[in-house]
Amino acid sequence: MTVAVGLHAVTKRFGDVVAVDAVDLEIADGEFFSLLGPSGCGKTTTLRMIAGLEFPTEGSIRIFDEEVALAPPNKRPVNTVFQSYALFPHMTVAENVGFGLAMRKVPDAELRRRVGEAIELVRLGGMENRRPTQLSGGQQQRVALARALVNRPKVLLLDEPLGALDLKLRQAMQVELKDIQREVGITFVYVTHDQEEALTMSDRIGVMDAGRLLQVGTAEDIYERPANRFVADFIGETNFLDGVIVAEGHVEIGAAHTVRARTGAPVGTAVTLMLRPEKIQLHHPDEVVDGRNRLEGTVRHRLYFGDSLYYEIELKSGDTIDVRVENVPSLPRWDPGQRVAVSFHHDAADALTE
Amino acid sequence: MTTTDERPTRVADPEFERKAERAEALRGFLQALPSYAYLVFFFAIPLVIVFVFSFASRSRTGRPVLSDWNLDSYAKLFQPIVAEIVARSLWLALLNTVLCLAIGYPFAYWLATRRSARYRAVLLVLVLIPFWSNFLVRTYAWRVLLGENGFVTEIGRALGLWDKLLFTQPAVFIGLLYGYLPFMVLPLYAALERMDWSLVEAARDLYASGWVAFRKVTLPLSKPGVIAGSILVFIPSLGAYVTPDILGGAKTTLLGNYIVRQFTAARNWPFGAALSFVVLVVMLIATIIYFRTDARTI
Repeated sequence: MTVAVGLHAVTKRFGDVVAVDAVDLEIADGEFFSLLGPSGCGKTTTLRMIAGLEFPTEGSIRIFDEEVALAPPNKRPVNTVFQSYALFPHMTVAENVGFGLAMRKVPDAELRRRVGEAIELVRLGGMENRRPTQLSGGQQQRVALARALVNRPKVLLLDEPLGALDLKLRQAMQVELKDIQREVGITFVYVTHDQEEALTMSDRIGVMDAGRLLQVGTAEDIYERPANRFVADFIGETNFLDGVIVAEGHVEIGAAHTVRARTGAPVGTAVTLMLRPEKIQLHHPDEVVDGRNRLEGTVRHRLYFGDSLYYEIELKSGDTIDVRVENVPSLPRWDPGQRVAVSFHHDAADALTE
Repeated sequence: MTTTDERPTRVADPEFERKAERAEALRGFLQALPSYAYLVFFFAIPLVIVFVFSFASRSRTGRPVLSDWNLDSYAKLFQPIVAEIVARSLWLALLNTVLCLAIGYPFAYWLATRRSARYRAVLLVLVLIPFWSNFLVRTYAWRVLLGENGFVTEIGRALGLWDKLLFTQPAVFIGLLYGYLPFMVLPLYAALERMDWSLVEAARDLYASGWVAFRKVTLPLSKPGVIAGSILVFIPSLGAYVTPDILGGAKTTLLGNYIVRQFTAARNWPFGAALSFVVLVVMLIATIIYFRTDARTI
């Protein structure tokens, strides 16, 4: 694997505030990598350090084996798509897109050809002589993308590029961005707080919180096998149940239930059992469930979501869990107050120690 | 089906709409009326009087006579002494504008880029403090500083830069620079303060060095401030009266002083009026051209 971007023990402090805390990260050449986390988690600061718009307090940043931690932004083989697009209002679309090439003294004929190609790539043909203010948000976004891509950077950095767009346009742009990335084959480092965006677009995702990189993995890794409670909670919806390991692979919840779960923790360890709502099934209390964990409880609430129904179940242990059930005619509806049995496969229950 | 379906179908009334529009227009006029009245009485009418007097003739004692209308005053504008004074005034006003810009821009930039809003506010107040006392008083204060044993004169002497300042052209120039610098700093600050600095970051990201990013992005985007500041400095500098009168000598007569002299010592009101009017028209045309070309380039 060729490493496109390598961060080693990178720390950024603003006064007393640690924005990025000893981050180690390697992003592969050609990868679509997302940094995901809540606002203020340090993801944008990390991106800005790769861009050269901030300099790390400690640590090393390498881009294709070249140390760049302290290099100014104009000396780095990367380009950025800014959150607010940052298009030059006093220049036309073509001048905006050609800015980087002009700065690098690319000959006029080549500049014009490449600007034309980039504008075609983002499907803005015919808009060359417009000013950014004359464009819609989605078009401005494309100009920002073309302005960065036209320079053929070794790494493209994107700071919440779709944040300002409405939902439909955002979804369309997600697909388009992914297609463009495949077409140009450049490494993308994508910062977002939108988990759906990260899950659908990325080859790998790094989840950050409070300046620390908590987990790096594929979308499936971080959804199915979160490293800790924060990741499990941040990505998707999750039920958490406190428990203790009572035997190998067995967790006791409250005093009422013992279930099988995925865990390597030794007996006696306090754990948090993580259970996704869609991986739980509801049954009639008399129904026999084979080979799955089975708990008993009472329906407290039922929420109708159109495509699905959410049930809030109070377990015998006193814990409540959410259960998501597809809204299909073959499944029965349960009413509040009704006694039910819940079941889940032991592989769907992760016992987290952090 | 019965008549329960009856609903009023035509509520809208074009006449009502027209009335509402007329009422709105009247309200706007009444709101602006005090300003209109002020401008008419204290600006438009005096201007008309000046215009009328510029065609008047003079009695033997120099009193303006509102008959025998003629263009003599306008003919007198072509005397060499007028050309000399206009050239000196233009040169000083231009020099003052350029220097205010050269000093004011870096300062406004530094001011606008301070992170703490509180710090910025304090610095801005410091810029405005001179306005708390009278301009005339402040100019007299310069007389002390630039005088024979004045602080500024002593420093210059110690460094071997000058021997005498007061009543020379440099003294007038120092006074003008001091007087009009805030008028340059404030519009520049306003323009730079609302700058989107991510544009500079974008330029840096697109391989521009710090200096090139300034030239290609910051400077063009702060152009409205540069233009406003330049106009605010250039026009009053050109017509400056108090500063050259108090700090300058006989050889440093500027346009403002020359016009005043026509109305006082020289007792030539028609010539003073013609001079005032021409300066006004020329400046108005120059300003309009400046704004027109600017509207196209921004």
